[in-house]
Amino acid sequence: MNWIGLSTIFRREVKRTMRVPTQTLIAPTISSALFIFIFGTVIGSRISEFAGVPYISFVFPGVLLMTVINAAYASASSALYFMRFSRSIEEMLITPFSYFEMLLGLVGSAVVRTVLVAGLTLLVGVLFGAVRLVDPLGFFFYITAISAIFAMLGIIVALWAESFEQLQVLNTFIITPLTYLGGIFYSVTFLPPLAATITHLNPFFYFANAVRYSMIGYSEANLWLGFVVISGLTLGLAILVISLFRRGWKIRG
Amino acid sequence: MSEVMLEIKDLVKVYGSGRNASRAVDGISLSIPKGSFYGLLGPNGAGKSTTIHCITGIAKPTSGQILIDGVDVVKEYKAARRLVGLSPQEFNVDIFSTTEQLMDFMGGYYGIPKAKREQRVNELIKRFDLEKHRKVKFQRLSGGLKRRAMLGRALVHTPDLLILDEPTAGVDVEQRRDLWQYLKELNESGKTIILTSHYLEEIQYLCNEIAIINNGKIVAEGTKEEFMRDGKSVEETYLEITRKEKTQ
Repeated sequence: MNWIGLSTIFRREVKRTMRVPTQTLIAPTISSALFIFIFGTVIGSRISEFAGVPYISFVFPGVLLMTVINAAYASASSALYFMRFSRSIEEMLITPFSYFEMLLGLVGSAVVRTVLVAGLTLLVGVLFGAVRLVDPLGFFFYITAISAIFAMLGIIVALWAESFEQLQVLNTFIITPLTYLGGIFYSVTFLPPLAATITHLNPFFYFANAVRYSMIGYSEANLWLGFVVISGLTLGLAILVISLFRRGWKIRG
Repeated sequence: MSEVMLEIKDLVKVYGSGRNASRAVDGISLSIPKGSFYGLLGPNGAGKSTTIHCITGIAKPTSGQILIDGVDVVKEYKAARRLVGLSPQEFNVDIFSTTEQLMDFMGGYYGIPKAKREQRVNELIKRFDLEKHRKVKFQRLSGGLKRRAMLGRALVHTPDLLILDEPTAGVDVEQRRDLWQYLKELNESGKTIILTSHYLEEIQYLCNEIAIINNGKIVAEGTKEEFMRDGKSVEETYLEITRKEKTQ
């Protein structure tokens, strides 16, 4: 394993993140703070406890998840697309990185940035009194795995995209709708039976459920099924990205 | 260990597929001995850069085999890439990185430990007279400084085979002469160098073996002396061969 190479990718990405802190760190934190204030404080003050916790604590895992999804996707997709655009991806192609190391470097650096953003969001949550953590290990696993899933989706889109506009296609038409419809701000028990059944087919529902369970200990789905969905997607996407790198799709002439 | 630094056997590179397929390299075979200063000439679009891309890993060969010091660039790509340094024709860099960062990151990608990397980067910055520009972003450098930074980046892991694709494009005469001197010294120290350039006096001055690529094929190959037979310059022989190729 080229550990020095991997740490160099992380170092380079941290520098890239710090070049535009407003876009990468401050904007998502402000956005999260607004969501927590509106859903948790303004609306939440009118709602009594739900699932044994204040509504703000029920809704906070969803806000955090949304932040994590957006940060991971944006970080990986913009980093790789910029590397393709500037052709600096060739630096990685001519150096001794295996395809697995390329995956680890690109996904790992996106996860690091996402964890930074998640840390800031948690801090905001603490200030609002919204944070509970019943299963820290599970929480860390799910946040990392979900970050990796969306970083890998970002990589696939960055490989496919031919313009900056196309980078947003998946986010606009798939990620955002499925996130909002995945029960991040509400309980699936609020829905009519058909809508609740459909929601159970949405993988984002399992993401939200897993993070919420690890934070407040409340679950609306089979946790093992959620674990299988999240682990399966992580593994499946990793295999797909490695095979795209091996084929050199859109990066190796 | 082999006495041949680079061996290319029947290399083919096709871009696209079906009706859009374009054969950029069409059965090139080359054998470059260790210690050579090898000039690769050809008109624009002849297949020089594609061949270089296949050697370095930027492009995947469609068929054929490339061995660097006996190491297969596809099957043993990690070992092969440690042997090569590339200064490409186009600036394939993060333009927001500084000169120092470009070399440092590249050294890191090659797995060079921090202390050794810092020492090597300092050496190269000094050698290419980039001290005043070490903290300057690549996008703010002049054309000549960019070329020198690219050369420094290519040399950071002290490769045995150095590939220079138009390394002096945009470099002023004085700096070009200085670079030539440095490249000569590098070659004399045992490095094998492959050079492509549109400045044929550069090829004539530096190279001891020359090949001409046209339409993806090698159309002429020989020593510099063979190219300069009958009192001709390399440029005159080159023009003679490429014009003949055009009329065929």
